[in-house]
Amino acid sequence: MKNESLTVVENKTIAAKTHEMTLSGPLVDAIDQPGTFLHVAVPGEDLVLRRPISIAAVNQGAGTCAIVYKEEGDGTERLARCRAGDQLEVLGPLGNQGFPVEEPLPGDDVLLIGGGVGVPPLYFATCELVKRGVSVSVILGFQTAAAVFYARAFNELPGCDVHVMTDDGSNGRAGTVIDALNERPYAPDWLFSCGPRGMLRAIETNAADSKTHGYVSLEERMGCGIGACFACVCETNDGASYRKICRDGPVFAFKEVVL
Amino acid sequence: METDPRLYVTLPGLPMKNPVMPASGCFAFGREYAELFDLEELGAVAIKGTTGEARIGNPTPRVAETPSGMLNAIGLQNPGAQAVRDEELPFLANYDVPVLANVSGSTPEEYVVVVQTLNDAPNVGAFELNISCPNVKEGGIQFGTDPDAAAALTEAVKRVSTKPVYVKLSPNVTDVTAIARAVEAAGANGLTLINTLLGMRIDAGTGKPVLANEKGGLSGPAVKPIALRMIHDVRQGTKLPIIGMGGVQSAEDVIEFLVAGADVVAVGTANFSNPFVCPTIIRELPEWLDKLDVAHIGALRWQGEKI
Ligand SMILES: Cc1cc2nc3c(=O)[nH]c(=O)nc-3n(C[C@H](O)[C@H](O)[C@H](O)COP(=O)(O)OP(=O)(O)OC[C@H]3O[C@@H](n4cnc5c(N)ncnc54)[C@H](O)[C@@H]3O)c2cc1C
Ligand SMILES: Cc1cc2nc3c(=O)[nH]c(=O)nc-3n(C[C@H](O)[C@H](O)[C@H](O)COP(=O)(O)O)c2cc1C
Ligand code: FES
Repeated sequence: MKNESLTVVENKTIAAKTHEMTLSGPLVDAIDQPGTFLHVAVPGEDLVLRRPISIAAVNQGAGTCAIVYKEEGDGTERLARCRAGDQLEVLGPLGNQGFPVEEPLPGDDVLLIGGGVGVPPLYFATCELVKRGVSVSVILGFQTAAAVFYARAFNELPGCDVHVMTDDGSNGRAGTVIDALNERPYAPDWLFSCGPRGMLRAIETNAADSKTHGYVSLEERMGCGIGACFACVCETNDGASYRKICRDGPVFAFKEVVL
Repeated sequence: METDPRLYVTLPGLPMKNPVMPASGCFAFGREYAELFDLEELGAVAIKGTTGEARIGNPTPRVAETPSGMLNAIGLQNPGAQAVRDEELPFLANYDVPVLANVSGSTPEEYVVVVQTLNDAPNVGAFELNISCPNVKEGGIQFGTDPDAAAALTEAVKRVSTKPVYVKLSPNVTDVTAIARAVEAAGANGLTLINTLLGMRIDAGTGKPVLANEKGGLSGPAVKPIALRMIHDVRQGTKLPIIGMGGVQSAEDVIEFLVAGADVVAVGTANFSNPFVCPTIIRELPEWLDKLDVAHIGALRWQGEKI
């Protein structure tokens, strides 16, 4: 975990209100696990909290990493206005538990499911998996065609089978990622997922009693991002304890925490 | 880090190398920030509010942003006094830095139990009674808004504590000086102010409060003018040392707090925007002393005469 000024290399719109920002700086050296995130200080003194954004990709050779973010409010709108050459204060990589991309074996059936801006960390995970010779299926869910991003990038990865679902059928097939999941004849050996809480809950329920090693990445409003303020907690499934999403996660095994 | 002797300030129970400490609840028990910088750079550390038994806190979302500030309704989540004594304080004991143990409870008996449990921890320099947490029903706010209740609690704790006792005042009152005088008369060794101001945000899109708890405590730069005014008022009403806080995020802010009447400051919310804010402020203070041409930081503190 480092705190550094990173340089914006590129900041471009890749879908409706969705932007991909490439950042460079020595902090990038420390990024090695998909699922971890950056805590980005937004320009402007009136915004006192940083914004947690997942790492979408890393290019160690070029010393850059990418984040993909959706304009939701004041902070992400200001990020969208950043230009190449601007500096952003970034704390990261944060999170001690990312997707366990080291574990699946090349013959395993690995499924990744991403919804909306839950897709970016799964892209990083997929890159790491295919690097190890593991082939993966990905199901990407979006509301409508205008919101779709990264479908081609996934398609270009070797051994990656991509299914795009849109709510209105304007791109890929009509339906939700759950529909696509339920059409599969077998439960996967590994299932990594990131997206809205409701989607994760449905995935966990649908894949629960199988042989599947399932993992979900969670979001919660954050203060410190490092485990010091107790803002981002979630309960463990036995109801007896809690986990901090920023510190103990953000990725948790199925049934480790209450969704 | 080289310590500038001009920055030493000794408060009851807290011999500080410099007048800056992280505020309770914004620094947990130091472990996370210890990964980023040497805790010995700090003047002291105020630990997360500790209760008799472990508390799980409020439902999420627990924080919300506001213009130049934030609301929190953490709900005093903490592992309980015994676990703090056995598992958290020993970690901080690895560093040469005094600890201000923040104590919360729903009854005077609970405050007494926490103080008894933490009393013999060698690195606890002093206690800070949180009689002002606005985020839990039984968080002690009732002690913070009534001078008699505040005084009775202070007396009860003073009877069992072998360490100096600071009382952390609530800004959610009309006359903060009355509470300050009452706890001074009851034997308090120092004061801390301010805690957070009760506030609320509503999501216009859904029409629902942003925090699961509906209301929360406002902190950050937005509350600084209120903190300065309250410290200034209290300074005129009491001789007790004051740990000032509320929106401190720069060396310049520290000077403002000292001039208003604080002896030292604590930094809360600013740790979230910049995890290095405390060591950064500490490094910048000597330049301010040069600029203001003072021989010791204590000389800045306004002594309480009428301005
Ligand atoms: C671990 C993690 C990873 C994330 N990764 C991504 C990503 O890769 N791409 C992406 O687009 N979004 C991601 N998010 C969500 C993103 O943090 C929020 O959309 C963003 O903070 C909204 O900021 P804003 O200023 O635009 O919105 P505002 O509503 O103006 O923000 C106000 C406050 O609420 C917080 N907040 C608002 N929405 C969320 C949320 N969903 N989660 C956490 N805090 C929130 C903000 O951080 C800020 O403190 C992630 C969240 C977490 C916790
Ligand atoms: C997330 C959070 C948790 C806090 N927890 C405590 C606590 O446990 N006990 C306490 O006395 N004050 C607590 N406070 C109040 C701070 O110690 C401080 O009084 C207040 O935030 C004002 O300072 P600031 O504006 O620098 O944050 C908390 C504040 C925040 C933001
Ligand atoms: S954001 Fe502070 S503990 Fe997770």
